[in-house]
Amino acid sequence: MKNFILKDRQFSLLSKLILIGLWAFLSHLIDKEVILPSVRSTLVSLINIVKDPSFFSIILHSLIRSLFGFLFSLLLAISLGILSSVSKFIYSLLEPILNFLSSVPTMAIIILALIWLNNELVPMFVGFIMVFPILYQSVLKAIINIDRKIMEMASLYKVDRLSIIKDIYIPSIFINLSSVLTSALNINLKMVIAGEVLSQPKLGIGSNLQMEKMYLNTAGVFAWIIIILFISKVLGYMGSILKKLSKEEKWK
Amino acid sequence: MEYAVKNIYKSFGPLKVLDDISITFPKNKTTCILGPSGCGKTTLLNIMAGIIEKDAGEVLGIHKQDISFVFQEDRLIEWKSVRDNMAFILKKKLKKKEIEETIDRFLRLVNLQEYKHYYPRNLSGGMRQRISILRAFAYPSSILIMDEPFKSLDINNKRIVMEFFKELIELERRTCILVTHNLEEALDLGHKIVILSDKPTRVKKVIENIYMESGDEGYKVQLRKEIEAELME
Repeated sequence: MKNFILKDRQFSLLSKLILIGLWAFLSHLIDKEVILPSVRSTLVSLINIVKDPSFFSIILHSLIRSLFGFLFSLLLAISLGILSSVSKFIYSLLEPILNFLSSVPTMAIIILALIWLNNELVPMFVGFIMVFPILYQSVLKAIINIDRKIMEMASLYKVDRLSIIKDIYIPSIFINLSSVLTSALNINLKMVIAGEVLSQPKLGIGSNLQMEKMYLNTAGVFAWIIIILFISKVLGYMGSILKKLSKEEKWK
Repeated sequence: MEYAVKNIYKSFGPLKVLDDISITFPKNKTTCILGPSGCGKTTLLNIMAGIIEKDAGEVLGIHKQDISFVFQEDRLIEWKSVRDNMAFILKKKLKKKEIEETIDRFLRLVNLQEYKHYYPRNLSGGMRQRISILRAFAYPSSILIMDEPFKSLDINNKRIVMEFFKELIELERRTCILVTHNLEEALDLGHKIVILSDKPTRVKKVIENIYMESGDEGYKVQLRKEIEAELME
């Protein structure tokens, strides 16, 4: 098993090296920095971006937007998920809204958001409309899948509603959510950045991506993509640590 | 107060399940309800517990009491430790300090203190069911309803868990209603054995289990024959 994992890692490293090699080869072949920048110029751009005094402030702003938006989506998904599971009315009320969000092109909703909201709120809203349905469905599924026999036991022992929510519903929701948490966090980050590209808040990864595009600095765009990939990886690790903690320490 | 069911009738659509069932449950004794699988024993328990409505008849004394339950499955909450599983049902009944004292007292009573912080996934099937029984005893109730609690256990675990139950019932007297389709369980645990017929279910015979009082194996053999004859009819 250990050998297998080791081999897996070796293959993953090899595939990354092949991709970088292909990139270097193609950029050399095309020889136009605007279309496909070289590895070297991308690295120079990356160093320049990181050395910029406002770099951490830009990252922090995007992360804060992403985090607040995500927490808002999560809290709303949990509350509405619980309410939908106990009230047919709320479930039916939310159903068309979720259908609307999933069938109307995201871009159309973003354009409306650009008209209605200020440019600081648009990125969070964009993240919200993508992530909320995923989290809400996951919460609802968790509640529906709660073992009916455990619920029957709790009701026979006359356990109060608050304890049932705190000790059965919430842990079940978090166990179910842990499987979508990392991907939802990453989708949210990507959508917040997309929202920043369109709404251009003062500080944000998306605003800088847009700026690099305007100046036709493709190496800068590539450098920002590398930074986003790095942040995604860090979020992925954080998600897996949270998942491990929730499973091992308390809930499973 | 008398614990009893009187003239209980229950049908599911055209299917008549319970047909004029009357049983009295002696206080602080174990009454075994014995009958073939699927004859409506669980339906009767559910009526007694108030989970489903009866079509006619009376449930006397039982509804007014706090009732503990042991099910076919252990019904432990996977993400809660043994202590927390017990505390979960005690929260509404007892104060914080009393909960701790009760849990410790019951775990000590059966020498299971070392399992206090174990999670159900780390316990064997037999141990999980023992904790489920202990949880039922820790709950301050006067009636204990058990629905085929040994059904899902293998033969070794069944023996261990049955001994565990006997030990507990000796230490903590309760009026216990045990439903089973297993003759040996009824003979080993029931002071009173109520034999039910197949659908529509009626009370065929009520037997006072003299083996429980005397421990004389001869009585056990004689009672086994008698019950087997009833079940064969």
